[in-house]
Amino acid sequence: MARIYQVPSHTRLWLALAVLLCSLPQLVKGPPWQAGLLLLVILIRWLVEQQRMTLPGRMVRSLLLIGAVVLTFYSFGRLYGPEAGVALLVSLFALKYLEVVQQRDAYVVIVLGYFVCATALLFSQAPGMFLYVVLCMTVLTTCLVGINHSDTRASGLLHGRRALVITLQAIPLMVVLFLLVPRVAPLWNMQVGGDKARTGMSDSMSPGQISELSESAELAFRVDFQGDMPPRAQRYWRGLTLSHYDGRTWQQAVPQGQPESEYLYQRGSEKPDWYKRLEGRRSPDQQYYRYQVIAEPTQRRWLFSLDVPFPLYGDVSLAKDMRLVANQPVSERFAYRVDSVPAVSAAINLTSQERQLMLSLPEGAGRKARGLAHQWRLESDSASDIAQRALDYFRDQPFHYTLRPPRLTVDPVDDFLFRTRRGFCEHYASSFTFLMRAAGVPARVVVGYQGGERNELGSHLLVRQYDAHAWSEIWLGGHGWTRVDPTGAVAPDRIELGLREALENSEDGRDLLDDLGLRRFSDGGLFAKVSQLMDYVDFRWQTWVLGYDSAFQSEFLEDLLGAVSPVRIAIALIVAVTLLMGLYALFLLWHGGNERLTLMEREYWRLHQRASERGRPLEAGLTPMQLCQAISEQWPQAAIAADNWAKYYQKLHYDPVSLPNKQQKRHLRSLRNRLYKLLD
Amino acid sequence: MQLPAPLRNFYERWLARRLPSARQIVLDQRRIFIFPTGYGFFYLLVAALLFIGGINYENNLILALSFLLASLFMVAILHTFRNLSALGIRNGDSESGFAGEEGALEIVLFAQRREHHCVWLRWRGQDGQQISIRRGEEESLWLNLPLAERGRVMAPRLKVESRFPLGLLRTWSYVTLDHYCLAWPRPKESLDCPADGGKENQEAFSSGQSGNDEFQGLRSYIPGDSLRRVDWKGYAAGRGLNTKQFEEPVGGRLWLRWDRLPGIGEEQRLSVLCYWILQLDQQRQPYGLALPGLTLAPDTGDVHRWRLLDALAGYPDF
Amino acid sequence: MQALDKALAQVGRVVLGKEEQLKLALTCMLANGHLLIEDLPGMGKTTLAHALARVFKLEYRRVQFTSDMLPADILGVSVFDPNTQQFSLREGPVFTQLLLADEINRATPKTQGALLEAMEERQVTLDGVTRPLPQPFFVVATQNPVDQAGTFVLPESQLDRFLMRISLGYPAPEVELQLLAGGDLREQVRELQSVITSEGLIKLSRLVGKVRASHELLDYVQRLLDATRSDDRFVAGLSPRAGLGLLKAARAWALLSGRDYVLPEDVQAVWPSVAEHRLSARQGGSVAAITQSLLQSVPVIRR
Repeated sequence: MARIYQVPSHTRLWLALAVLLCSLPQLVKGPPWQAGLLLLVILIRWLVEQQRMTLPGRMVRSLLLIGAVVLTFYSFGRLYGPEAGVALLVSLFALKYLEVVQQRDAYVVIVLGYFVCATALLFSQAPGMFLYVVLCMTVLTTCLVGINHSDTRASGLLHGRRALVITLQAIPLMVVLFLLVPRVAPLWNMQVGGDKARTGMSDSMSPGQISELSESAELAFRVDFQGDMPPRAQRYWRGLTLSHYDGRTWQQAVPQGQPESEYLYQRGSEKPDWYKRLEGRRSPDQQYYRYQVIAEPTQRRWLFSLDVPFPLYGDVSLAKDMRLVANQPVSERFAYRVDSVPAVSAAINLTSQERQLMLSLPEGAGRKARGLAHQWRLESDSASDIAQRALDYFRDQPFHYTLRPPRLTVDPVDDFLFRTRRGFCEHYASSFTFLMRAAGVPARVVVGYQGGERNELGSHLLVRQYDAHAWSEIWLGGHGWTRVDPTGAVAPDRIELGLREALENSEDGRDLLDDLGLRRFSDGGLFAKVSQLMDYVDFRWQTWVLGYDSAFQSEFLEDLLGAVSPVRIAIALIVAVTLLMGLYALFLLWHGGNERLTLMEREYWRLHQRASERGRPLEAGLTPMQLCQAISEQWPQAAIAADNWAKYYQKLHYDPVSLPNKQQKRHLRSLRNRLYKLLD
Repeated sequence: MQLPAPLRNFYERWLARRLPSARQIVLDQRRIFIFPTGYGFFYLLVAALLFIGGINYENNLILALSFLLASLFMVAILHTFRNLSALGIRNGDSESGFAGEEGALEIVLFAQRREHHCVWLRWRGQDGQQISIRRGEEESLWLNLPLAERGRVMAPRLKVESRFPLGLLRTWSYVTLDHYCLAWPRPKESLDCPADGGKENQEAFSSGQSGNDEFQGLRSYIPGDSLRRVDWKGYAAGRGLNTKQFEEPVGGRLWLRWDRLPGIGEEQRLSVLCYWILQLDQQRQPYGLALPGLTLAPDTGDVHRWRLLDALAGYPDF
Repeated sequence: MQALDKALAQVGRVVLGKEEQLKLALTCMLANGHLLIEDLPGMGKTTLAHALARVFKLEYRRVQFTSDMLPADILGVSVFDPNTQQFSLREGPVFTQLLLADEINRATPKTQGALLEAMEERQVTLDGVTRPLPQPFFVVATQNPVDQAGTFVLPESQLDRFLMRISLGYPAPEVELQLLAGGDLREQVRELQSVITSEGLIKLSRLVGKVRASHELLDYVQRLLDATRSDDRFVAGLSPRAGLGLLKAARAWALLSGRDYVLPEDVQAVWPSVAEHRLSARQGGSVAAITQSLLQSVPVIRR
């Protein structure tokens, strides 16, 4: 069968554009040979268009396909999995475009385009990307319009306009569907991009680790407070508690013989004793903070929250050390909602195994420090007194807060406390916890973030990597775990104002700020405003669009409909869609005023109707004058009034010299009213 | 797709009731049907697949994309419908043909309210034709019509169809135009010419009497000849003053007569008459036709032939 | 305007009791259209045409159509003049300002066609030379009713070239009495005074184009046309050309009525004479009755 090129010429450019635009995200992200393949395909099509060559045959196409498969395997080491799959899809897309001849082929290319667009959203969910995909959809729709317009004289630009109109009309409908169509639970689980390294907190702490983080301005998480936001000095975002120390590195540890089920409380499962106690301590008059956290992906399970978090929703659990744990590693942006009640921390007990763990110290490390701690213990009468002495020690001795501490040698504890005395938060937290344990006070290191920057537009909080922090918690009988931040004793600015201001205020810090390029975030100019705006958009996108899951949806629908039931949702969906479609139908099928009668026309028909009602029925084909003659015949007394009306009407309606003005129309109406009175 | 006969009949009757025939029809929602095309269903399947994908990847944007596809489909319903709505169709000319061959009917499409793109017109068993009409204009196209038997062949039910703009939906309407094509009788050879005025023969014999229909030759001018008959061109060329002579067939003109074909069926008679009309036309003979109820005076030429043939086709209602 | 009234009065003196038809005939002339008068012989068709010519001081010729007439008998013929060594056109009777084509349906279609073509184009082409017809140029054709023997029916497409068709009909009894008492009509026609010159007539017909028609009126005309197209009782609807003719005739009628804008009454007045001869009814229908019924059913004011 002879193959005739059936895609009209005014659409071929659009088709090429659609292929290019849809593939672009993958070309940028994927292996370079993909861009090469697409360019080759577009070049061939262009040459074919110029009639410099014929379309490659089946053989060439098969070779290209095999080549693409081999290259995919070469680049990814496999042919399955998201990345390799997308690479294959995009190659197939390009190759299908190569063989477009008939309308049907173009249809297939367009459908493949939809899938390529979808995969772009798999890897990036930024608002910009979605806008880009909507643009791609518009171009694909333009192609659809084009291949269905077989008129050879048609203009390609008009297709674009038509597609734009259709897309713009579809978007409100899309929003309605997005809001109202019930979210179903996943049929099977799929994860994308699970093996990518990211900056962020690690699950252990050794000197220098957190100071490395402070060099990054990357976003860690965002918090949207409902109601009050605690002051900066209180904003300690707890991430991990580290209980085991080997002389250099602090690590997470669980007391011996404690099963995880007892240690972790997952929402909906059986409540362990400690959680019941926590709940029992809650009372309505306590101060609490309610907020939503949108965490950036970390590939880890730990989450960040203020002191004592009660998870409200989200796939999260609460651990006994009062921190939140995600049920799966956080591989994409992840939202959870929490109530934090600082007052209930006293409800947590300390088992003997835990006490043993919280006092454990590595053999041989920090001999001098142990001596100092021992001395404080003898001189003090309470644990809080010991802690105060330790803080005083940091404050009184010449300790310095710096991002570039000198290297510590054999015994980091003693070396820092007695020799270098220059360090970052992890040095202070580590040595303070060591001292406390040595003095017999159960203590642990907590790592997380401190502070956060408020976005003026959205009044939400931005916590960046440079807000990373480490501090200590000590066990005080009657108070439970109590936060002590030794860094505050050395550099109060760090806590009160944040890292940037703290560095600004120290002599070596300013140079450092410049070095790290952190300074720009402190500028209050246009740039800051724009970046705040961008952040606000991104944040709202996160919370309202990406975070619009079944829980959020049922909450929203409850606000909207009063109560959520399948019937109500169905009705709301039908009503909303019908309303919109009705509106469009009205707009699209409106006859453009053809049907509307003018005032003059109505004037005539009113009289016609009145006369027909009062007397014998009149025909439709009466001129104004004939109408009045018919009236005069039936009501001789009205003859003069009728004649007046008809003459005036005739002149106004049929003499096109001037359009009747308001006054004339009013006069005509008064003539008719006079006539009405005579029709009895 | 072929429905079982009773269902088909019911459907036909229902359609005929719903869409009565007329000479001019403006399509409105009562007449327009709409249904997804095969590609439309495929498209919806793609939207459904993306929906499942969005659910499984817990990716709200892919969900939104699938909703966008669905929304485009819904908006396309209106746009597709709109493309056919308010399209006017009315009778145009018709081109007659012999029974057993094809005639053609002209269909005029007019767009009063909006433009209509890529509208296909076709009737059963014929290839469709496509046309676009701009707002406020008229376009016409000719559709072939097989003429099975002599007489008035009414226009079959016309299917007006469009997939514009997205090809996801097909909207169509059936229009029965009160329009017909004349099918001339199929010519049937016969030896005897059913004509009088030509000595029982179709041959034209010179009678020597000067008529005014066929140019025969020149003779020299005799005073008293009409100046209108003088061959002025020849005179100008120096060939002397001559008078043009015209010839008239014997006994006036040839009259093809229905009455001269007794003993055979009506259709046969008409076929024989048709054959002789064509024969005489080829010989450039003036000929007339006398049918019961209609007499057409002798003449020659295409228009005359068509008139006679149309009369044969229309018999007995002219 | 007064001149027109006078013209009407003048013609009315010889065509008695036919004011309506007279006004229509005058309308047709003002609208620069050709007139077809359909009647039995002896109804005063010739008198009317002759009177019109006199009143407007138009050059007038009358041709009686017969079945052996040739196109050349109407259009003319090229004659070679040996003195000048050139062809010269011997003009046929068509070269006049008012041609009365009497009993046009007696001629063969060929001859009819020649006349009608000249009417349409207002020029005659003979032996490759095109000659314009005089200005103004009117054809008043008369036709015997169709069912008479020995006639060639004018085809519909040819009828379209006549702007209007009227029929005079029998005179009313008292008028007929007056007619019988009056003596020779031809004599009386000769006594008619011309009221307007042919130049005046051209000026008047230019005025017709300046008669205003409002959008509402055009809308009414359009709806009337549409009604003929969608009415099943007709074989086919009115053509766009017929529509233009209807409007032009209505304008002329308005002018004759002394108005400078068109009223629906004007359209209704000329409607039967413009529409009827262009329409044919299906079996059993009367064109006149159906066209009249349309006036009743089509709304004058849009609704």
